[in-house]
Amino acid sequence: MKSSVFWALVRKDLYVLRGFMIITVVVGLASLFSMRFGRAGFAVGGILFLTANVAGGIFIAMYSLMTERKEQSRLFALSLPISGYKCDLAKLLSGYLSYGIPWLILTAAGLLGFLLPGNAAERGMFVYGLVLQLFILAVFSFVIAWLFIVKSEPMAGIAIMVSNIGFSLFMVSLNQPAVTRPLRTPQITWTPFASWALAGELIVITLSLVLTIFYMSRQRDHI
Amino acid sequence: MTDHATQAFALRGVSKAFRYFRLENLNLELPLGQIMGLVGPNGAGKSTTIRLLMGLIAPEAGSIEVLGHRVPEQAAVAKERVAYVSDDMRLFSGATLGWHMRFVARLYPDWDEAYAQTLLKHFNIRADQGMRGMSRGEHIKAMLLLALARRPRLLVLDEPTSGLDPVARHELLTELMQIVRDESRSILFSSHNTLDVERICDQIAFIDRGHLVDARDKESFIERWRRISLDVPTGVTLPRLKDAVDLTLGERLATLTTDRYEPALHGVLEQCGARVTDVQRMSLEEIFVASVMRSRAEVQS
Repeated sequence: MKSSVFWALVRKDLYVLRGFMIITVVVGLASLFSMRFGRAGFAVGGILFLTANVAGGIFIAMYSLMTERKEQSRLFALSLPISGYKCDLAKLLSGYLSYGIPWLILTAAGLLGFLLPGNAAERGMFVYGLVLQLFILAVFSFVIAWLFIVKSEPMAGIAIMVSNIGFSLFMVSLNQPAVTRPLRTPQITWTPFASWALAGELIVITLSLVLTIFYMSRQRDHI
Repeated sequence: MTDHATQAFALRGVSKAFRYFRLENLNLELPLGQIMGLVGPNGAGKSTTIRLLMGLIAPEAGSIEVLGHRVPEQAAVAKERVAYVSDDMRLFSGATLGWHMRFVARLYPDWDEAYAQTLLKHFNIRADQGMRGMSRGEHIKAMLLLALARRPRLLVLDEPTSGLDPVARHELLTELMQIVRDESRSILFSSHNTLDVERICDQIAFIDRGHLVDARDKESFIERWRRISLDVPTGVTLPRLKDAVDLTLGERLATLTTDRYEPALHGVLEQCGARVTDVQRMSLEEIFVASVMRSRAEVQS
């Protein structure tokens, strides 16, 4: 074997999804920039930023897994000299990379905004941003885990429905004055809500990953 | 390929159950350097057999060896020397054929770029063409190009000609016959087009409803099967012949189908009072249909 099939499949997904990754980063950065222009700019930019993050994640998970199954290109990947388990593992890694790279860039850019000298009055919102971004990553982890386990499109739709409801509920609770007021300070403050939310998000991300890999390792039929 | 491998593949006592289908006790072997045609109606178990062979699904019973490697345990190693193309397989829609060629070339040491370029011309497809813009036939040609140019020891083709026009089909079958000039290369070719199978295969296996109906070399199929027309005078009753697969009786004329034809059968029939008026060789399609009908009748009884 001249080259690792595992990494070739990972690179393939990054190549195929490169357009979505670039669009997510460009739209996300543009929306962050527009948030600097008054209340309207902040509102529009905020919505666009969240859309780029959330929709980008769901789209990448759906496109990466469901489209490949639907178009039956998965059969081509499985015809290559790689086991079904490693083929799935490559897909999981490429999914995390193709979403994780734009997510990391946007999260870093967004959080950096709170740390800039001009925003010193609301530096505490760094925690708010981190909790929000990790929640979005947790939603992505849940969706991709769900899509690995279910095979049908209606069942895949449930993941989108659950994540939409979950995200709406989370935004409602995150924007309660009791939650945000303690964070609108010049200092970074780890409130109990923020600590619990971060812990919960990390648990969801870890559990999603572990359960997906466990499920893959138990599969005997790969098609 | 391991040094001790003398067969392209061997399935022994392989079973696999699904909700509405069961492949049962499948025994099938292909010597190196030969082409096997796996023939069966839709839903017979051809694709399941091939997926088992490729390690895509695991058997519930039995053992599978491909080029000397146990499958599915060592499927990844076996697949280094196996190319697989299926009617329901697609390439990555976001990339061009040229990208796929570079992708596959990096993975397979035996990739033959000159041959790939020749196939591009033969199949009349372009490397810069995106997969989304390709017709069904072009897509199949692209997959066949990727499979053939890696110079595999075993080529597994699941209904590869179904989307091809007659010219492309002719070209493909010619390419396949070229491949097995090298005696270490083998092909498993599944199809319900018996004309294609008859044209290129050395070995033929009939499969129906998850059961292997018959498997042998093409010549013995063709040599053993005959349709015999008989003149049966009134009052003559033909005995139950063990070699008869089917016997259709008219008022005076009868047609006997046998899968164990020998000239001595003429004497047996004439001793019974019947006169042999014609003996016809059967096409592979006719043999296939007769085999399947007999197998179904046996299962029902």
